[in-house]
Amino acid sequence: MLEIKNLHAQVAEDGKEILRGINLTVKPGEVHAIMGPNGSGKSTLANILAGREDYEVTGGEIVYRGEDLTELEPEERAHKGVFLAFQYPVEIPGVSNTYFLRAALNAKRAANGESEMGSMDFMKYIREKVKQLGLKDELLTRSVNEGFSGGEKKRNEIFQMAVLEPSLCVLDETDSGLDIDALQTVAAGVNALRSPERSFVVVTHYQRLLNFIVPDYVHILMNGKIVKSGDKSLALELEEKGYGWLEETVGV
Amino acid sequence: MSKALIYESQIGSVLAAVNRDQEPSWLVELRDRGAEIHSALGVPTMRNEEWKYTSLRSVAGVNWNPGEPGPAVFGEDPTYYAETTIRVVLVNGRFDRNLSDVPATSGLTLMSLRDAIYEKPEVAEYLGKIAAIDDHTFAALNSAVFVDGVYLHLRPGAAVAPVIEIVHVTSGEGMVIAPRILIVAEENSTAKIVEQYCSDGSSTNLTIPVTEVFVAKHANLEHVRLQDESLDSYHIALWETKQAGESEYRSYNLAFGGSIGRLDQNIDLNGEHITTRLDGVVVARGEQVIDNHTKLDHALRNCNSFEIYKQIIDDKATVVFNGKIFVHQDAQKTDAKQTNQALLLSRDATINSKPQLEIFADDVKCTHGATVGQIEETFRFYMRSRGIPKATADAILVYAFAAEVLELISDDVVRERLERRLYSKLGIDLGEM
Ligand SMILES: Nc1ncnc2c1ncn2[C@@H]1O[C@H](COP(=O)(O)OP(=O)(O)OP(=O)(O)O)[C@@H](O)[C@H]1O
Ligand SMILES: [Mg+2]
Repeated sequence: MLEIKNLHAQVAEDGKEILRGINLTVKPGEVHAIMGPNGSGKSTLANILAGREDYEVTGGEIVYRGEDLTELEPEERAHKGVFLAFQYPVEIPGVSNTYFLRAALNAKRAANGESEMGSMDFMKYIREKVKQLGLKDELLTRSVNEGFSGGEKKRNEIFQMAVLEPSLCVLDETDSGLDIDALQTVAAGVNALRSPERSFVVVTHYQRLLNFIVPDYVHILMNGKIVKSGDKSLALELEEKGYGWLEETVGV
Repeated sequence: MSKALIYESQIGSVLAAVNRDQEPSWLVELRDRGAEIHSALGVPTMRNEEWKYTSLRSVAGVNWNPGEPGPAVFGEDPTYYAETTIRVVLVNGRFDRNLSDVPATSGLTLMSLRDAIYEKPEVAEYLGKIAAIDDHTFAALNSAVFVDGVYLHLRPGAAVAPVIEIVHVTSGEGMVIAPRILIVAEENSTAKIVEQYCSDGSSTNLTIPVTEVFVAKHANLEHVRLQDESLDSYHIALWETKQAGESEYRSYNLAFGGSIGRLDQNIDLNGEHITTRLDGVVVARGEQVIDNHTKLDHALRNCNSFEIYKQIIDDKATVVFNGKIFVHQDAQKTDAKQTNQALLLSRDATINSKPQLEIFADDVKCTHGATVGQIEETFRFYMRSRGIPKATADAILVYAFAAEVLELISDDVVRERLERRLYSKLGIDLGEM
């Protein structure tokens, strides 16, 4: 599904280096959790996967389903099944959620040689998703994320993911700011999408989420590098010991 | 000869072409006054504070001719914005009976202004009494030379359901076209009006319309004005409204056309408990100069006015906005809110905006805000990350910018057709929305 080899990246504007040789292989159906201290480069990695132009890849490669991802525009990546749930979802006043999603879904369908979904079919389709995720119908007519609470924004990201049915789902701290009920709904939404063809990269600070979305692997990103990988018990170990322990053992 | 001299001798011929025989004396007086003011003021230069950013050198350099009747058949039919049974069409400022359709409608008089001057004595009470021409040189010229126009009258209590569409087409080259519109909404009447200015092909005229509107007590009018003339034409207009107490007037100025498009829109709030909207959507591309000067005069207490201007500027175009709000001494408890926003789509686009609030009452709520921005990269990336192509993302964002005003237009057909026009003006094809 995804193979990241020795990825180096910097801020395009000032050349500040952020990622310093990341290696990560995600196979179809797997869930990988990425943890790490603030400012270690987790969001940078997630944004680079989605194609944000603020960052420049200076070395290494990102291969997604056999294709060099860095060659593709953000919308092309989306059409091929890459999805990023933003750490800070963007508010777009004046654009209704429904209109936005329909434009997105139909652009994806068109790019994949499928016919456009008419507005009746589309409404039926998204109403179902709304119900599945325990969201309110009024969310559909409101402007994208405008005036949404922090938790509503995060849930809206998962809703968009459910509608677009991507293959590689990158979740950047989707659990931050959620109350315990919302956390469970979000986790249920993610788990409902789990399938042998779909992979997840889940960035989180909290072991708690991983009780609900059980990862196959846990990686620790520090200072732009993955310094340790393991199974889900690594998250528990981290919770107990913090990052200081790692700084000593791996010497970053 | 200097440009000014060419202009004066040419305008002399435009003025001389008016046949005043048999006109009522009040009209002859109005014409004389108009001619005098225009001769005294001439074509304003950029030294004039009100014309600081808009040069009329090109207007002064043309050998203008008197307006003549247009052709019976157009090269290109105008777009109609309303799905309605009530439509009047004026060609080169003259009421066109063949193209107009005015079925008998209870409480509504809609006719040629020229005819109304002779047949409807009340016209003398309003015409030239609402528009202040003393410092508006082209409105003064209009007063001196207009040959026809529209008279729209709503009887007390009249409620006209179909949208009333007024279409002004200009055709030909090098002419001064001076349509005159008089709208009188008597007490408790309601109507929706769409007024449109367009060109037959690439006509290069100077259109100088004057629209006068009187909104009586408890009357309720919605008035959309689209200026969409050819990119080679000049459009310099005055639109002035007087509102009486408890009335509501919602006006929307959509300015898309003209090499130079200038509108002075003034609203006098002359009573208590008045509601006023004065909103605008501007799209300027190429080397267009679009200049809107608005003025709200709050004379008495307890009135609300809302003004939102959304201006989209591409290429090397220039947009000017000047928004005056006067809150006079007796206008306590005024609530006046003005916002003007510009979205620049190119590095060479220019906006000059000047909010001008003058407040002489102490217990009022007045706010104004101006912003200038570009398409937000974070918005664009968010949309692209969901699969929406860049060009579509930009189109949606431009639409969203204008939507705050467009969404206020209450007739669905009018609003949707105007939205389509906004897109085509921007060169965007979005297919089904
Ligand atoms: N566009 C940018 N311009 C300048 N610096 C940046 C930019 N993006 C990221 N950085 C810097 O790169 C480092 C990594 O940031 P990133 O957002 O990837 O961290 P993170 O691991 O997601 O942290 P957090 O847990 O707080 O979300 C930080 O020091 C951040 O300030
Ligand atoms: Mg982050």
